[in-house]
Amino acid sequence: MKRRHLAVAAIALALASAAFSFGLGVNHELAVRTGVDDGKPAVLASVNAESAVAVSAHQPENTTNANATAKSTAKPAEPSSRPRPQPAQLSAQPEVDPHCAFGSRTAPVTMEVYSDFQCPACKQLFKTTNQPLLDNYVNTGKVYLIHRDFPLPMHAYSRVAAGYARAAAHVGKFDVVEQALFQNQEKWEANGDVKGTVAAALSAADMKKVQALVDGKTLEPLIDKDKQAGQLIPVNQTPTTVFRHKGQTYPYAGVMSYDILKGFLDDLLSR
Amino acid sequence: MTQSSPLNFRRSVIWLGRIVVGLIFVYAGYSKVFLPNQHLWPYFILRFSVSSNLSTFAFQVESYKVLSAAGSAFVAHTLPFVEIVLGLLLLIGWRFRVWASLATAILLGFLCLVTRAYLLHMDINCGCFGAPEPLTIKTVARDAALLALALLMTVFAFQEARKPHPWAAPQKSQSA
Repeated sequence: MKRRHLAVAAIALALASAAFSFGLGVNHELAVRTGVDDGKPAVLASVNAESAVAVSAHQPENTTNANATAKSTAKPAEPSSRPRPQPAQLSAQPEVDPHCAFGSRTAPVTMEVYSDFQCPACKQLFKTTNQPLLDNYVNTGKVYLIHRDFPLPMHAYSRVAAGYARAAAHVGKFDVVEQALFQNQEKWEANGDVKGTVAAALSAADMKKVQALVDGKTLEPLIDKDKQAGQLIPVNQTPTTVFRHKGQTYPYAGVMSYDILKGFLDDLLSR
Repeated sequence: MTQSSPLNFRRSVIWLGRIVVGLIFVYAGYSKVFLPNQHLWPYFILRFSVSSNLSTFAFQVESYKVLSAAGSAFVAHTLPFVEIVLGLLLLIGWRFRVWASLATAILLGFLCLVTRAYLLHMDINCGCFGAPEPLTIKTVARDAALLALALLMTVFAFQEARKPHPWAAPQKSQSA
């Protein structure tokens, strides 16, 4: 009798373990909360598309701004309804908001960073790679850096933060606001005071302009466009960085140190 | 002709534990190295994939706020490979009691960590497998279940060694 109970318990434990293990990452709602869309691997779309790497007509002739911060927002689509990208879609560069793009658009490598201001991993990526990347690759014309907003639905203030950052970008203060948002992430995440965080980083005049843009909601469609672009990759977690080089597209999910990124960029540029 | 003992309860648990715990360890290690980025070719792409996966795992380890950045990086760059090797050793069965004990100790450590994080309401990914997975009560329950199985397996393995089943094949003599 005792043995039978033990046997049943052992089998139940084994089954529970197996079920939990192999069902990992399937809870999409929970996953989104902490910067993950779902557990699916971000499969590398190394797609050859000779003609498809078309830079959007909306890109500036020459955007050289040292303020770049590579963060972007892509929206996690409903897993069941996520559109499957066609090869040409993957390689073709989505429209770029010139205010959120940094470096020369003719640079050999394009980096799009899909990011969420409330995501701790995005903050980590920003802290470890942003400045040296700007100094050594973006400002030297090797990399064209594009910030794309991907405010995850389960992050309460991501969308608000993205709105303020986008507005700040349109008054030329993206770098200041991005830095303020990431540096104070834990504070505004706790109290929801995104506006106060942004206001503390800007002059009163700039804040007034930013607030007007946020209130007008004229920039919201740009955030939505970034989300839609992320859906096509597809972006499954933030941060996700999409590298484009000579018609090849390389999406990478997760955090990377500057040394690792440097090694990869050098390899890519040497080809 | 010698004959192995039948698959009694004790042996059943050992076998089940070996397979379940072994496979989970192998998968856990593999997924940390090769997920979420599974880009294998050319070599510099593979290197970047593995490096960025391990960096992401290091970030997850660090988010537990138990180890320093250097300690987290060390764990992130060694633990996945330890898990793969340990899982394979469990599946193979060589020096089984040693590796079963080690696996149980590791699982106990994992359970302590996730329980602490859960009780502290830390909003982090558990880092159990490659795909980022939020730490919830389910994570704690899963780790507890796995630990219970590993513990049972280890205890039974020691019992089996001390008191083999009467039908078990006799041990080879150590002396000449």
